[in-house]
Amino acid sequence: MSSLDWIVLVTTLVSIVAYGLYRSRGSNTVDRYLLAGKSMPWYAMALSIMATQASAITFISTTGQSYVDGMRFVQFYFGLPLAMVILCATVVPVFHHTRVYTAYEYLEKRFDAKTRVLASIVFLCQRGLSAGLTIYAPALVLSVILGWPERATTAMMGATVVTYTVLGGIKAVTWSDVQQMAIIFVGLVISLVTVILLLPASVSFGDAVYLAGAAGRLNAVTTHFDWNDRFNIWSGLIGGTFLFLSYFGCDQSQVQRYLTGKSIAQSRLSLLFNAVAKIPMQFFILFIGAMVFVFYLFVQPPVLFQRIELKRIAGLSEFQPMSEQYQRAFEHRKQAALDLVEAHRAGNTPAENRQKAEYRAAQKELDAVRSNAAQLVESTGGEKGFSDTNYIFLSFVTRYLPSGIVGLVIAVIFAATMSASSGEINSLATVTVIDIYQRHIKRHQSDRHYLLASRWFTLFWGVYAVVFAGWAKRLGSLIVAVNKVGSLFYGSLLGCFVLAFLFPKVRGTAVFCGMLAGEAAIFATAWFTDVSWLWYNVIGCAVVVAVALGITFGAPGTTSALPDTQPQE
Amino acid sequence: MPHTRDVPDEAPPFLRTWRRVYTATLIYLALIIFVCYLFTRFYR
Repeated sequence: MSSLDWIVLVTTLVSIVAYGLYRSRGSNTVDRYLLAGKSMPWYAMALSIMATQASAITFISTTGQSYVDGMRFVQFYFGLPLAMVILCATVVPVFHHTRVYTAYEYLEKRFDAKTRVLASIVFLCQRGLSAGLTIYAPALVLSVILGWPERATTAMMGATVVTYTVLGGIKAVTWSDVQQMAIIFVGLVISLVTVILLLPASVSFGDAVYLAGAAGRLNAVTTHFDWNDRFNIWSGLIGGTFLFLSYFGCDQSQVQRYLTGKSIAQSRLSLLFNAVAKIPMQFFILFIGAMVFVFYLFVQPPVLFQRIELKRIAGLSEFQPMSEQYQRAFEHRKQAALDLVEAHRAGNTPAENRQKAEYRAAQKELDAVRSNAAQLVESTGGEKGFSDTNYIFLSFVTRYLPSGIVGLVIAVIFAATMSASSGEINSLATVTVIDIYQRHIKRHQSDRHYLLASRWFTLFWGVYAVVFAGWAKRLGSLIVAVNKVGSLFYGSLLGCFVLAFLFPKVRGTAVFCGMLAGEAAIFATAWFTDVSWLWYNVIGCAVVVAVALGITFGAPGTTSALPDTQPQE
Repeated sequence: MPHTRDVPDEAPPFLRTWRRVYTATLIYLALIIFVCYLFTRFYR
């Protein structure tokens, strides 16, 4: 990185912390520290919700996904507007009217204390695991691309996040999220414009879009149904709806954002903004990946974008013929692409069809070499299931974008990491204080006591996230499994809330048993089948509801709350 | 510890009722899926 890049990066990080702390003045009660005194406008909540959901790996991975597999990942978000409408009509007013700090506090009001504790523990396990990975994953990519030590990157991002999250509470988190989203938008627009400007003079923007489409990179909708396929319109609409209902309705990291609203209408507007803006935003990010693909039609990309693994296998005898074949395949594809554009411009349909077949065959040849190289990495001691998707976009940025823009894009990665991480740390601390500490450990203490406890628990979860991120490397390929951890827990949480809202006769013990059965069903599905993780939420939710209803109507004697349940203050 | 304060429920700033806002959101979803479908077909 050049000096200008460093200036852009450091200025951005300092301004994020300063702005967040400036806007968080007066967070001196628990209500203000954890819920911003219910004073936030809809646009701040909306951008904070968006920023919390979009981690750095979302931006890095999504563009790479589009480069490799096209734009069909956008279908994952088709369930989002449906989920938002359901939540606005049901959950949002109930959470506000019951005057809760956390989603799980509501479960005690509706069921009993043990259901609240179980849901809180499920949340702490799931979010606690992902908190470290949110910081670790981009640190790993930056270390490979820029050669920065992972621990230094992790510590730098962690220290920045912990500082403003501990000092400023949710107000600092929300307002810094707003600023981070603005940086992310600017960075992405500049990235797309730069990619298009870097295309050869003989290739227009229209030609670039045409070439991306001809290579199957603009496949935004696939109507084919397959249980094992993560991204098609059906998994997006059904699985996606359940996932987003769980995420925005039962995950405190999101619930806490819209509980800060100064009115129910403001909270609803913040969610509906996401319902409207998220799909175009993801489409835009994926489109950047498709344009990077077109850029690499004319500039030879490396065989693998993960340079450390590439360097390792480059010395092997098996790699030499692969490299030569890759060079030939690239030249073949480049020529085929130029000929295809020529035929398309001339309106010569038979020639266009012929060239298209040629172009696709060359692409297949190139993909085959990349696949063989990935297998070589695996077979010579590399990571199992090796993939370089997460390295494609940043590798492009650091090699071809001009000085200053590189710093801005790295700042985008930092901003996205910090916004996702601060939301997680803040919500973990809130659940620990409200649902565990204040409810079961230290009752009837002063507001000042709980404010201090909130700050200490925020610090604890921040340090935990950084330490876990430093340790995450030892997980190796397990990281992929841990990344799916959200879907392992969301389904049963959602089932619990569905019962709370839709089935007034169901009581705590039935829900408690249902949640345990739901978790067992999800783990069994994950362990014994190839069903895509997007469906875990549907399966978990269905099992929780079915078991709880079975207990309620099959054995009515077990449906009352246990006698040890204490009413909450 | 005190409860959080209750907040008012208000009409939406546009379309008068929330039911209409929700309907508009769902129509928007249908439209955007249709546009994505056309986009895919056109550039296939």
